[in-house]
This record gives sequence, structure tokens and C-alpha cells, in this order.
Amino acid sequence: MKVYPYTHFLAENSFYKNMLKKDLYYFILIAMWVISCKKSDSTPTDGFDRAKMLENYAQNLIKPAYQDLQSQINNLKTATTNFVQSTSEPNLVALQTAWINTYKTWQYANAYNFGPAGEQGLKKGLIEEIGTFPVSTSKIESTITNNNANFNDFNRDARGFLAIEYLIFDLNGNQQNILTAFANQNRKNYLSGIVENIKTRVDEVVTVWDVTYLDEFVRNVGTDVGSSTSLLYNEFVKSFEAIKNFKVGLPLGKRPGQVQAEPQLVEAYYSGKSLEMLKAHFEAIENIWYGKSKNGADGVGFKEYLEYVEGGKALIESTEAQLQIIRNTLNAVPLSPSFSVQIQTVPASLESLHTELQRHTRFFKSDMSSVLGIAITFSSGDGD
Amino acid sequence: MPLSVFRLLFGLAMVFSTLRFMLLGWIEDHYIRPKLHFKYWGFEWIEPLSAEGLYAIHILMMIAALGVAFTSKITYKISAIILFITFTYTELIDISYYLNHYYYVSIVCLLLCFIPAPPPLLKKGYVVPVWVTGIFKLQIAIVYIYAGLAKINYDWLILALPLKIWLPAHDKMPLIGEVFTWKITPYLFAWLGMLYDCLIVFFLANKRTRLFAYGVVIVFHTMVGILFQIGVFPLVMIAGTLIFFNFEEKSISESSVSAFQHKKIPVFLYVFFVFQLLFPWRYLFYKGNLFWTEEGYRYSWRVMLMEKAGTATFYVKDSKTGREGIVDNSEFLNPHQEKQMAMQPDMILQFAHFLAEYYSQKGVYKPQVRVEAYVTLNGRPSRLLIDPKIDLTQQKDTFSPKTWILHDEND
Repeated sequence: MKVYPYTHFLAENSFYKNMLKKDLYYFILIAMWVISCKKSDSTPTDGFDRAKMLENYAQNLIKPAYQDLQSQINNLKTATTNFVQSTSEPNLVALQTAWINTYKTWQYANAYNFGPAGEQGLKKGLIEEIGTFPVSTSKIESTITNNNANFNDFNRDARGFLAIEYLIFDLNGNQQNILTAFANQNRKNYLSGIVENIKTRVDEVVTVWDVTYLDEFVRNVGTDVGSSTSLLYNEFVKSFEAIKNFKVGLPLGKRPGQVQAEPQLVEAYYSGKSLEMLKAHFEAIENIWYGKSKNGADGVGFKEYLEYVEGGKALIESTEAQLQIIRNTLNAVPLSPSFSVQIQTVPASLESLHTELQRHTRFFKSDMSSVLGIAITFSSGDGD
Repeated sequence: MPLSVFRLLFGLAMVFSTLRFMLLGWIEDHYIRPKLHFKYWGFEWIEPLSAEGLYAIHILMMIAALGVAFTSKITYKISAIILFITFTYTELIDISYYLNHYYYVSIVCLLLCFIPAPPPLLKKGYVVPVWVTGIFKLQIAIVYIYAGLAKINYDWLILALPLKIWLPAHDKMPLIGEVFTWKITPYLFAWLGMLYDCLIVFFLANKRTRLFAYGVVIVFHTMVGILFQIGVFPLVMIAGTLIFFNFEEKSISESSVSAFQHKKIPVFLYVFFVFQLLFPWRYLFYKGNLFWTEEGYRYSWRVMLMEKAGTATFYVKDSKTGREGIVDNSEFLNPHQEKQMAMQPDMILQFAHFLAEYYSQKGVYKPQVRVEAYVTLNGRPSRLLIDPKIDLTQQKDTFSPKTWILHDEND
């Protein structure tokens, strides 16, 4: 630290120069003592390269997830067209299979509700526009009857993946009920309309990611409000909490004021695929934390970021330990009866799952944002 | 003259700050949209006006700020009072947005009400009583010195926390970014920051070192303004410190001197400054780690001193059925409110009472509310802040120690 350049004009004042010199010596002495006394920790000495992390997320997690989703949706559209043209049982089964595959693929893409998939004006995030559940069966039925569908209005609980599910899956597995209902042309139009709407929305998101947003995303390397890290992180936490609150908690009746379990609130209620989807969603969340692509290639993610910061190693340990517990608890949930039935009759394993998800929240939420210094919201206001 | 410069720049800074607040949409975000507001102790009766009312208040604030900047005599007095009332009112709406900077601004607005109306801006030859510029210097001194004293703690100086958490993220800053990857940098900044806060007013007060000190002031606040998200505060401080300068020493006319000499120091100001000097020390009456319990933390110039965050899970039990539910905080709070609440015991308590009231109306019988609040302080593993078994509906927010806060084992 050079003192002389800015004391030259105070050269007349030797008292001041001496004082400054003395302060400087004391300071250097103290600083050296402090550094030598400090325990050496094994945090790497170079800075963490957030650009590399963002690059990994963009290229190996986000882009593939959206591309997979896109191609699955095209399959879904084909299956829908076939079914609508000829409402046979084989076509229905094919459609149902396509839906299951598409919806499962969606679990790996539903956490990135920022940028083109984020909230813009009246348009909500993609998860809300095409993934809202539970759906309002009355809204769906009345819209079909009146033949006045508008897939861009506020009725997000009457469109999206779960509206399709309601239309094509009978709660008791009675395929004939579905086939009979689809004799109605309005119903066919509605189904096609929903599928087309999903396709349009997803195509739009993918295009923007391909053309401009990916570069923008990788370049925005801060941790402040609006930075890619902050956006990704906040949506990641929201997605995790959605599992805990909406996929498990609410159906179990865990909200104050709920007096019993409410199975109709589960995700994928009509197809009975709730557990499968939940497992996929949870795996997707884990992948984000690890920076792992769907095929298992583990790249730079939040975990690696944590290795670089004060308190990060301890947090990694706690996080991984609890993630393992959640995985075990998930695997301990019986595969039958279906989720929505279990919730009412034998909820114990789901109660455990909820407890373990609850226990995990602080590791992803406050602990992580605190040690990484990530801004947690769009308008934190000013700091103090 | 320093007073004229001070009130002009302060008024303009207030105009700018209010305009920025409005343009960022923060009136909606902070005051209109939230379903509940966290009250200041003693000011529970303050409610946000309608959207139109709030906008009117902010526009009035800007006009008053212009009045403080430019006018004199009775117009000034009215402007100063309106500015203080409008600004302080908006601050009192929700304690989630409490900042030491806002507290400082409120204080300056208050002090501006108690001084005799400043001389007209461009007219020279007026003398202002020494105490008038003195109280602003004293207030700045209090802010700096207490902020500096607050930094004399183990985490800040020896562990370089929280700077060690906050600084590395700036390694991509042009020119100096690499500095933030060095291990020594947080320690350097911590010690320099503490020394700056503790000593700068003395260098500002001393005429020989004043100019140099002011240069340091500019460097310090500019740096801090770039590194941290603290709004207009750097501008306010850079402008406000000009009060230390005497811009002219010319001889003045007899009549103008005598007009001001008779303005006595209001008694209120004596009381006020005694309070300002003593109030930050109230934390000594409470056991435990101040940063952890926050009993006596606010209004004491503990500026940007710690990295703290929490996750608070509230359980609401029906006293008749015994059924206990878990609250989704985001149903009621925006992310900023939730973040502030989760680490500050008095806000946790307020939220607990709100939940009891809310769910009671939803049919839960005599709700009992408890919380599992895990808090991390300066990068340490998170721990329980509040006793998770205590029914918070039975607790009140008073000045007596909060027995339901679990203490740090390092106390």
C-alpha cells in the first residue's frame, strides 16, 4: 500500500506524515498477525467461476430439458391428433402413455421459471401456465359445454398438463367412460386446444433460449438481484418447496385449518402417477443442486460453489445427509395403493416424507443463500 | 454557508431518493401488495393509506424536500415539518424495511425542524449559530463512531465476517476485481472500515486534515455503494459531510449577526442527543449474543454488520382437536418480509400473533402457535433461534428479556 502518492501535498505537515506512517506500520503488523493466526482452511484460493457454473446449467441441464420436453410434446400432439380422429381404446392408451412420458419429462424442466419462462406482465411463469393443479373440473366441463375456450386467460386451472390428465384418465381406470365422453366434438376440440397451447408456449420458450437467452444467462455472472445465479437459485428453491407444500403437504392436510387429508389435491390425481412424478421432480431438484445432467454427468453446480465459500463445506455435509434421508423415505413409500389413496388410509410413510422435506428446507433456503450471498428476491429493497 | 449547502443537497437527495422509490415500484411492493405489515413497537396504529393516498404522500414528500432545499422562513419551517412527517410515516408502516440509513434520514429531517429557518440560499453574509451546524456534525459523529465501535467484535475483525462472505462475489468487477479473490482483502476491508468509522470525524473536524479526510469519505462511500446494495445512502453521506466545511470566513454585518445570536438551543435537542448517545447501549441489559438475539440491536448504527438468515416454520394447533398444521409463510409474506421475519425474534412474535388471529377466524379453535426457526449467522451452521415448544401466542413484545429465545452456546 503506497502512502507517498497522496501525502506529498501534506509534505509540509510532518506531524501528519509521521502519524500516518505510524498508523500504517501498526496496521501492517496487526494484519500480518491476524493472517498468521488464522486457521488455514482448505477453501480454494482462486475465485469461483460462476460463468462456468452457469454454462453447465445452461448447456447440460436447462437446454436439454427443454429440448426433451419439446420433442415429447410433439409426440403428445401426434397421439392427441390420432385419438381425436379415431377414439379407439388403443389410441387412448397411446395418448395416455404419451401424456405420462411428457409429464415426467416436464418434471425436469419445471424449475426454470425465469427469463422466457418467467413471469412477464400478465403472463405467469411457465409452471403456472401449463402445470397448475388441482384443476377445476367444473370450469373445464362448463367451458366444453359452452365451447368458449380461451387458453390465455386467467383460468390456469382449466388448462395445462393436468387438465389433459383429467380429460383422458378415468379415476377408476374405466377406459370406456373416457371413450364415451369423447364422442363429443367440443371435448375433442378442447383437448386439442390445450395440447396446442402447451406446445405454443413451450416452443416460444425454447426459441428464446436458443436465439438470445442462453448467452445472456451465461454472461450475467453477478449474485445480485436479477443475476442469473439469483434467478436460478430462487426458482430452484420455489420448486423444492412446491414438492413439500403442494405435492405432499396440502394433500396430506397439513395446513392449519385443514381438518383432514384431501386426496383430490395431489398432483396427477386421475392417472394415479403421483408418486412417479414426485420422484422425478425430486431427482430433478437434486440434479440442479449437484449440477448434474439427466444422464448422470456431474458438472459444476451449487455444490461446487459451496465448496469455495466460508461455511460451505459444513453445509454440503448437512445437505447431502438430509438428501439421502429424503431419498430413503421416498423409496420407503409403498408403490400401491396409489398416492391419493394412501394419503387417506395409510399416510404414515407420507407423513415421514413431509417431515424430512420440512427438515431439509433451511439447507436449500436460508443457509445456502446466506453463505453464497445470493440476493433472494426481485426487490430486496436496499440493504443495511 | 455549510448549512445552506447541507440543506440544499439533503433536500435534493430526498427528492431523488423518493423519485427512485416510486419508479422502482416500491410503493406497490412494500406498502400496497403485502397482506400484513410488521409494526414498530409503539406505532401499531400506523396503517398504510390507499394506493392513491400513498402516492400523494410521496409527492408531498418531494415537494417538502424541495422546500427544505430552497426556501426560507415560514415556508422552510412548514416544509421541514411535512418532510419529517411524510418520510417517517412511510418508514413506520413496516419494520421489515428498517434500515439504519432510513433512521438517519428521519433524524436529519427531525433536526431540520428544530433549527431556525436557514438564510436564503444565494444571499451571503448571514451567520448561523454554531449549534445549528453543530448538531448535524454531532449526529454524523454519532453515526460513524457507533458504527465503528460496533465493528469491534470478534467476527468482524478476527474472522473478517461477514465481509469474507460478501466480497468474493465481486471478483468480476473491472480493474480491481482480482483483489476480491485474495484472502487478505476481507481482513483489510474490515480493519480499514472499522478505523475509518471510528476516526474519520476527528480528521474532518480538524481543519488541517479536513480536505484529505473528505477525499477519503468520497472513496469510502463510493466503494461501499458499488459493493453493496444500499441505495442513495452513499450520496446522502457524501453530501452531508460537507457540513464540516466552513466555506467563507468573511466579515458579516452587525445586524445579521444579532438576528441569529438570540436563537437559543431548544431543550428538546439536549434530550434528543442524550437519548441518541445512551440508547445504543441498552443491549448491555440483555444476556446473550446481541447479534443472535437482537435485543437492543436496532437504532444503534450497527450498519451492514452481519450476514444472517433464517427459515421459520410455524405450527398452528387447534386447542380442541389437537390437530397441528404447518403454515406456508409465502401465503402471507413477500420474500423480503419473510427473510427479515425469520431472523428477528420480535417479528417472529408478531407473525405468530397474526397467524393465531388469522386461523382463529378460519375456524381453528384457540390456536396455539409455535415456531421452528433455524438461523445461520455469519456462515455458521444454522441452529434453532426460538424454543420450538413455546406457545408464542402467550408471549408479548416488551423491553424485558425474551426468555423464549434460545441462546448461543458461545455466550
